[in-house]
Amino acid sequence: MATDFWASSQYKRWIVDRTALKRARAEDLQYVDDPELLDFLEIFFSNLLARVGKKLGLKQRVTATATVFFRRFYLKNSYCETDPFIVIAACCYVAAKAEESPVHIKTVVTEARLVFGSEEFGIKSFPSDNSKLAEMEFYLVDDLECDLVVFHPYRTLMSLCCKENGAVITEPEAGELGHGAHDDSGEGKLELQEPAIQMAWYIINDTYRSSLCLLYPPHMIAIAALYLTLVLHAPTREAIRAQSSNDTSSQPQSRPPSSASSSSNPRRSSRSTPSNPKKPTQDIVGFIAGLNVNIEVVASIAQEIISLYTLWDRYKDDGHDSIARTSFPRDTFRGTKRAAGGGTSTSRSGTPGEESQAPLVVTPSYLVQLLVRMREARLADIAHPPNGRPMAFDKRLERTQNA
Amino acid sequence: MTRPPTPIRNEEFYAIVNQVGEGTFGKVYKAKNIASGKFVALKRIRMETERDGFPVTAMREIKLLQSLRHDNVVQLYEMMVSNGSVFMVFEYMDHDLKGILSQTQFAFSDAHLKSLCQQMLAGLAYLHHKGVIHRDIKGSNILINNRGELKLGDFGLARFYQKRRKSNYTNRVITLWYRPPELLFGTTVYGPEVDMWSAGCIMLELFTKKEVFQGNDEIHQLDVIYKILGTPTSERWPGVNSLPWYELVKPKDIIPNHFRELFQKWLSPAGLDLAEQLLAYDPAQRATATQALEAPYFKQEKPPAEPPTG
Repeated sequence: MATDFWASSQYKRWIVDRTALKRARAEDLQYVDDPELLDFLEIFFSNLLARVGKKLGLKQRVTATATVFFRRFYLKNSYCETDPFIVIAACCYVAAKAEESPVHIKTVVTEARLVFGSEEFGIKSFPSDNSKLAEMEFYLVDDLECDLVVFHPYRTLMSLCCKENGAVITEPEAGELGHGAHDDSGEGKLELQEPAIQMAWYIINDTYRSSLCLLYPPHMIAIAALYLTLVLHAPTREAIRAQSSNDTSSQPQSRPPSSASSSSNPRRSSRSTPSNPKKPTQDIVGFIAGLNVNIEVVASIAQEIISLYTLWDRYKDDGHDSIARTSFPRDTFRGTKRAAGGGTSTSRSGTPGEESQAPLVVTPSYLVQLLVRMREARLADIAHPPNGRPMAFDKRLERTQNA
Repeated sequence: MTRPPTPIRNEEFYAIVNQVGEGTFGKVYKAKNIASGKFVALKRIRMETERDGFPVTAMREIKLLQSLRHDNVVQLYEMMVSNGSVFMVFEYMDHDLKGILSQTQFAFSDAHLKSLCQQMLAGLAYLHHKGVIHRDIKGSNILINNRGELKLGDFGLARFYQKRRKSNYTNRVITLWYRPPELLFGTTVYGPEVDMWSAGCIMLELFTKKEVFQGNDEIHQLDVIYKILGTPTSERWPGVNSLPWYELVKPKDIIPNHFRELFQKWLSPAGLDLAEQLLAYDPAQRATATQALEAPYFKQEKPPAEPPTG
């Protein structure tokens, strides 16, 4: 591999913990009634990134890079003191260049204006002037500390899995790091049905709706997506069930066959099923167990992905479902409890009863209004600070905001 | 509530000493790290804010350099943003090969020249192993410090390539005098062999002290090459006549190969062998960097390589 993840800036500088995430949102948190709304904003922003990316004809991986840039930028900035819409456009613009598929600046401005200005969002403030985007790009690259190489879970998925007939899934993309030294024999890979691989791919797409890309190394996210696929993709689950019942019949201490595929306690099942390398048909559970990664971390990522889906079920796109979820239909996870400590909305600021919770269903237009309110409230705070002295604030950010 | 503390900006840590050169897209300065007293090279990236913003070539160079680390590749220490400019902070190198060869106060023994050649090839072998083509190997991009270490620099034209299949790239790369014949014949499908031709040119230049193939334009460049290496034939270079511009630039007369007679007064027999393999017309027959490092010139023939110092 041309660059290795463990030597990368992503591993050294851009994988953060929950405390850092919380600190980054501290200012925004002052201006929302319910912290959960910030999670909805994460979904909303990545949907917009995907929408703009699609309009620009960017590949999935390029949009994913743009999303990671966006998340990294907001580790250092607040939603309420910047203009997230121009940041979104700049992220797409920089990612396209960084991933060797550049788009003209004018095209980005035009397409972003079309998306944001549409009836659905009604954001008319996006500047038509190229130089505003170029200026934002500069601040963005600065805050990204020029770290433009981003690793994604897709590659791990592709290097772990192959289609059932042993055919390797190739994703030829010029300029991709490390593509040169890629070993493409199907050997030692997990053979899956194509729809299962597809599902894992879609789950990875979905993880960008959250901050998971800042919290975990990409290969762990890939394994979690693969793991969820094994549990949730019905035909694959059946195959595993069949395998594990074979296992139990050959063993003296029998277990109920359902426990191996029970999604209610999947971690234990993967641990207690012995891996058997000599077996002619592929031992899927053994494959996962043999990956030599911390399976508890995989389980907690999987848990967080499910929490994301539960939250996402309450986000309604007003029928504009061009960036709809392709992995699971809505309400797949109805009734699933959000993982304790998994979400960011566990602690509620302010006194209960005085503040309203996030509405049951959140729409893009609600969130656009929310952003306007957040920004206005912040400006009011600056103009009338509690101590009576107006605060000096960053001119640079102000410029972007007015952009 | 305050913003999370941003990392300390580095601009006050460097003091610019003087301008030392001009890269593919911006000026290069010698500067001193005030805290450590160490010298660095600061390369300013020219920003075209009004037009297309951050140059895609600069982005490519940054990404490449961030992923490379080798004794014979110039090291990018960090990136720095200061007063609306983006700077790349490199390790400081005292000389470039072009300068060092033109100045008579530097005298190199055969062992020194062998070391320089070996270090260049080691750098290239590393790049090619990493899937990177440099695409601008020439004297002024080969940097040398006072410890006798040689490092490849200026990755403004470099890019990642696919090892398994060759892709389409622009043939408008590599400074004319170092440009391999296949690019002059218009190919857009190529790989790391293009760097190896340039390396062959450099190897000869180490001994002769001047550029070997000094053409005025693309056509003349080929003529100059023919005069030394003879004209390419389909035996020496299968497939040459199906290259895009073959009909336009094909040789008019047949010229025999004069390479050995011209260079035997400069190079040892094993040196001549290696240079000839690097300057093979057919890219498929041209020595790779790894093969070149195994050549008898390095492995058998005396004197052994010895880095030049001082």
